[in-house]
Amino acid sequence: MFSDFAALIVLLPVIAFVLTLFLGKKLPHGGAYLPIAAIAGSFIISLGIFLQIYPEGIVQQSIPWFAGMNLGILIDPLAVVMLMMVSFVSMLIHIYAVGYMSHDPARPRYFAETSLFTAAMLSVVLSDNILQFFISWELVGLCSFLLIGFWYHKPSAAAAAKKAFLVTRVGDVLFLAGIVLLYVNMSDIITSRAFSLAPGNFILQFKSMFDAIPLIDKTQLTYITLLFFGGAVGKSGQFPLHGWLPDAMEGPTTVSALIHAATMVTAGVYLVARTFPMFVAAPDSLLVVAYVGGFTALFAATMGLVMNDIKRVLAYSTVSQLGYMMLALGTAGAVVGAKAVGISMFHLISHAFFKALLFLCAGSVIHAVGTNDIREMGGLFGKMKITATTMMIAALALAGIGIPFINIGTAGFFSKDAIIEGAFEYGEKTGDLIPYGFAVIAALLTSIYIFRLWFMAFTGTPRSERHSHESPGVMTGPLMILAVFALFFGFSQTGFYHYLETNFELMGVSIAAHEGEAVPPPIIVVLLPVIVGVLGFLISYAIYHKRMLDMSKLISSQNPLYKLLLNRYYEPKIGADLIGVKLTHNVVAQSGEFVDRKIIDGLVIDNIISNTLFQLGEVVRKLQTGVVQNYASVTLLGIGLLLVLLRIKFGGT
Amino acid sequence: MSLYTYLLISAIIFVIGAYGIITQRSGIKILMCIELMLNSANLNLVAFSSFNGNATGQVFAIFSIAIAAAEAAIGFAILVALFRVRDTINLDNINILRW
Amino acid sequence: MAALISLMIAIPLIGAFIAFLTRTREQARSIALLTSGISLVISLILFSRFDSSISTIQFGESYPWIASLGVSLKFGLDGIGMPLVLLSNLVIPLTVLFAWGETKEANKFYGLILLELVGVLGVFTSLDFFVFYIFWEIVLIPMYFLISIWGGPRKDYSAIKFFIYTHVASLVMLLAIFSLYWNTYQITNTFNFDMFTLLKNYSLIESSIFKDAIFLALLFGFLVKMPAVPFHTWLPDAHVEAPTAGSVILAALLLKMGGYGLFRVILPILPYSGSPGKLISLMAIIGVLSILYGTFLALAQRDLKKMVAYSSISHMGYVTLGAAALVPLSVSGAMYQQFSHGLITAVLFMSCGVIQHSAGTRIIHDLGGIAKHMPKLAFLMLAGFLASLGLPGMSGFIAEFLILVNSYFTLPTFVILALFGIVFTAGYHLWAMQRAVFGTYNEKLGHIHDGADYEVLSMAIFILLIIFFGLNPNPVLNMMTTNAEQLLKFVVLRGVIT
Repeated sequence: MFSDFAALIVLLPVIAFVLTLFLGKKLPHGGAYLPIAAIAGSFIISLGIFLQIYPEGIVQQSIPWFAGMNLGILIDPLAVVMLMMVSFVSMLIHIYAVGYMSHDPARPRYFAETSLFTAAMLSVVLSDNILQFFISWELVGLCSFLLIGFWYHKPSAAAAAKKAFLVTRVGDVLFLAGIVLLYVNMSDIITSRAFSLAPGNFILQFKSMFDAIPLIDKTQLTYITLLFFGGAVGKSGQFPLHGWLPDAMEGPTTVSALIHAATMVTAGVYLVARTFPMFVAAPDSLLVVAYVGGFTALFAATMGLVMNDIKRVLAYSTVSQLGYMMLALGTAGAVVGAKAVGISMFHLISHAFFKALLFLCAGSVIHAVGTNDIREMGGLFGKMKITATTMMIAALALAGIGIPFINIGTAGFFSKDAIIEGAFEYGEKTGDLIPYGFAVIAALLTSIYIFRLWFMAFTGTPRSERHSHESPGVMTGPLMILAVFALFFGFSQTGFYHYLETNFELMGVSIAAHEGEAVPPPIIVVLLPVIVGVLGFLISYAIYHKRMLDMSKLISSQNPLYKLLLNRYYEPKIGADLIGVKLTHNVVAQSGEFVDRKIIDGLVIDNIISNTLFQLGEVVRKLQTGVVQNYASVTLLGIGLLLVLLRIKFGGT
Repeated sequence: MSLYTYLLISAIIFVIGAYGIITQRSGIKILMCIELMLNSANLNLVAFSSFNGNATGQVFAIFSIAIAAAEAAIGFAILVALFRVRDTINLDNINILRW
Repeated sequence: MAALISLMIAIPLIGAFIAFLTRTREQARSIALLTSGISLVISLILFSRFDSSISTIQFGESYPWIASLGVSLKFGLDGIGMPLVLLSNLVIPLTVLFAWGETKEANKFYGLILLELVGVLGVFTSLDFFVFYIFWEIVLIPMYFLISIWGGPRKDYSAIKFFIYTHVASLVMLLAIFSLYWNTYQITNTFNFDMFTLLKNYSLIESSIFKDAIFLALLFGFLVKMPAVPFHTWLPDAHVEAPTAGSVILAALLLKMGGYGLFRVILPILPYSGSPGKLISLMAIIGVLSILYGTFLALAQRDLKKMVAYSSISHMGYVTLGAAALVPLSVSGAMYQQFSHGLITAVLFMSCGVIQHSAGTRIIHDLGGIAKHMPKLAFLMLAGFLASLGLPGMSGFIAEFLILVNSYFTLPTFVILALFGIVFTAGYHLWAMQRAVFGTYNEKLGHIHDGADYEVLSMAIFILLIIFFGLNPNPVLNMMTTNAEQLLKFVVLRGVIT
């Protein structure tokens, strides 16, 4: 059956990576068909496994690795939906890239790296233990580094690639520290015989971890989950480690699409979802997740309002939407237990569809007009009907537009509204409505910036002379497929929640749902997300299409708020310049260099040890008179002394 | 004559040689004094050999004489070479080895 | 079973003499590659026959030498020595291959490289302290000449500094060895230089101050070699001036002798020392200090090769930390770090060598965008740098993961400090890559060419080895773990750690 080939889900793209890297130059389209075929193979196997295990089966395979660790595959409902989404969206992006990258001479390298990227992400998804998860997670980071720096000869790309790797690395170290702590705690309870691994299980497997939760000290568990969340913050671009994601736009647009939709950034959310039973057992961590997520959702959206680079707007939108997913895990997790995973993952997947679509549309626009700056676009609707339409669909989905009560709407309508309602429910139960407030305001801003983008790009009069045209079929095809999903994926909501709800029970882990009947939220709460969505649309329509308001007063360097937003809250200055260059390099590293050269080498070795020896030599060498007689006298004196000493020591006659 | 007589004579010659090395300034004289010391040692070797009935000491004495000859040859050669360069064999003036 | 170990040492020794006598560089390099290749084959045979489930000495050989002093030629391998023997035999032939184009006094050059192989193999296999010390010193001499003949502008300064530093350390170590020897003589009334006997009798020394003095003397000898902060300043200078092949051997093999000493000599006597608790803390402090200090110093460097040199200090700090933690898997992780670092650092120094050769400079600031003209080098160098910053899937990660995870049991504070270093480790590697290799091409460099085929081949083999041992550590790791467990049995018995 399909589950026997589960390992191929990862191995096929890896093989494609190797083949494309070395043989790509000799193949048509830079060997693009190899990764496409491989990822299609992964998708088919994933789909096959889904059909095989539905509704409540899981696939587990495992082989021992080193030092009591293992390599293994765990495909449960959570993993299988991710597998299908990742391989499917990645496949579409690859197809699109055949057109998008058609003029780039380094195509073989591009397709090889994206193939490895997909493989690494698939490997994250189906890992059955936290170590393998971490390894794949790091490989994802590596591939993002390579792909963001794909045009390595551009200094900005090289810098962005480094920033992406380093900032996510901060999170990775926290994640690693979490694994260290977890391992030590697991090991302690095993040594003290409080817990024993089931036969065939390994210490860092998710199943063992979940089984051990009740035995691990609560404080330790909070530390572990917080450290895990630190990893997720890095990977998913949450505040304060969000800065790399907008900079990551230096890579090709298709790479951005991959990073933002199918791979990489969702890994952070997936990590929290994967280890959710541990988070549930550590409510303090959940609170942190909720607040960081909610704040990021709002914080990133504010910057999305003022960006002029089409891809940067989308990047901040991703940061913001990832904040929603975290918020869902944090708030809903505290109220509805395991169902929160479903809510969050549903948004993750619908976001994957419409965000991939947004990026690919942006790519199509950039391909056509040759610039990223939306101020230089305009009036493209007539020239690029398919792109404009599909992008509108994606924008509607992002803004969560739909009709409440009769449940008709875009994917975002179902997924995002559920999160906002979850936040409200949380607020109602705990009296803490701040996350809900974050979510609603962010929803309004989301709607404003995405329609601002659309109106500035597609309506009005063209602001450049360039002759723009619709992209070729190989590019518009994926757009239309994704648009279908962005429109209709939402209708699978009930089934999706139901399928994922039992996820952890299948592994023998029960998450206590909190008591109390689910009360239907007030009508205003149900309506509010849609109202703010429409309101945002209207505001953008008024300002950017009808030009009813003159924005030039606001948009000027005189306006401190605008300046703050445009400078991204000075995050690049604080992060890279202050902490990176000034503090680390100029202060710490240079003073270390000073200690090394001047203190250890200069003072201790040269001045103290070396000089003392030289001065000693200076004194002793005066004894060398150069007169042979002196030497002879001293020798004789010495012999005489020796004889006397021998006489005293040994006596004799 | 007893062994002690030989040893006494040997010791006297040795001390004369040593005294000469310390007090004399001329390279030639110093070499001669070294010869004296060597020969005192040779005398010891032969004397012990004779009184102990063991030929090893005499063999060593012959070795020693051969080495003394070689040493004297090299020593005088060095002094001649030195004289050519420095116009003196007064060792007080030949002290470039110091410091 | 023939005397494989002595054969493995003798063949490069003969090869070295033949190489000295050859007249053309073709002959010299062929001899060097051939003999080191044979040595590699022998070590592979040993490796395949090695039983990693037992911790005792295997393939033991013993020949009488100076019976009156109790010196004999004893050789043998266990899980501590075997991986390093394999490493030495991998590094030397590949270094010869990499330095295939050496023209200056080629016969001496290749001969000295072979002598290095003889020296390190002797150190890693001899079980007699006297012979051990002889080989330990033999290693110094060819390296001194490699630096002082084929070195850069300040070669004399660096060569002397290297020699004095390591030689002083060796002498201090020698004093300690003599103390152990004398101690054994007093107990058994026989002269014996056998390593295990001397170490076993260490526990019978009465004065605990004397015990600690011996321990510190030995530790000093090994830490200078590793090198650990604050005894490290000879390393950057030596590396900067040494020829590429010299740097590779220095970093990949010579530093490993220090780590080997920790496992072979220090750990067995640590539980019996006068104040084990303090000495463990001392080692841990030195380890973490090396990790962090090396990292920050690497960040400050302008010379690519000097940066790599400081990264070596940082990586060797993990070895000290893992050894000090006294947990079986942390110790075997430390051993694995030695093995892995040998492979990784070779690639890094080779990259520096190729850049220096091609662009004429290694100053990061003067480079820039060289990936454009050196794509193969850029690829291999990136792979090497990623391995060095501990990317999973490569051998360095396995080692660092094992050390960090398992050291946490006994030294949690130190592990947290070491974790800090990881971000900055990634930082200096990537920053250097960004400025030197990526970005716009610095036209001042003129036309530069990619690495020669033999250089690329040699580096590529290293990268493949790094990935192989990163994915499949068991062949090497298992034998290390077996020996680490055996070493630490006594630690637990003595109650140093609970």
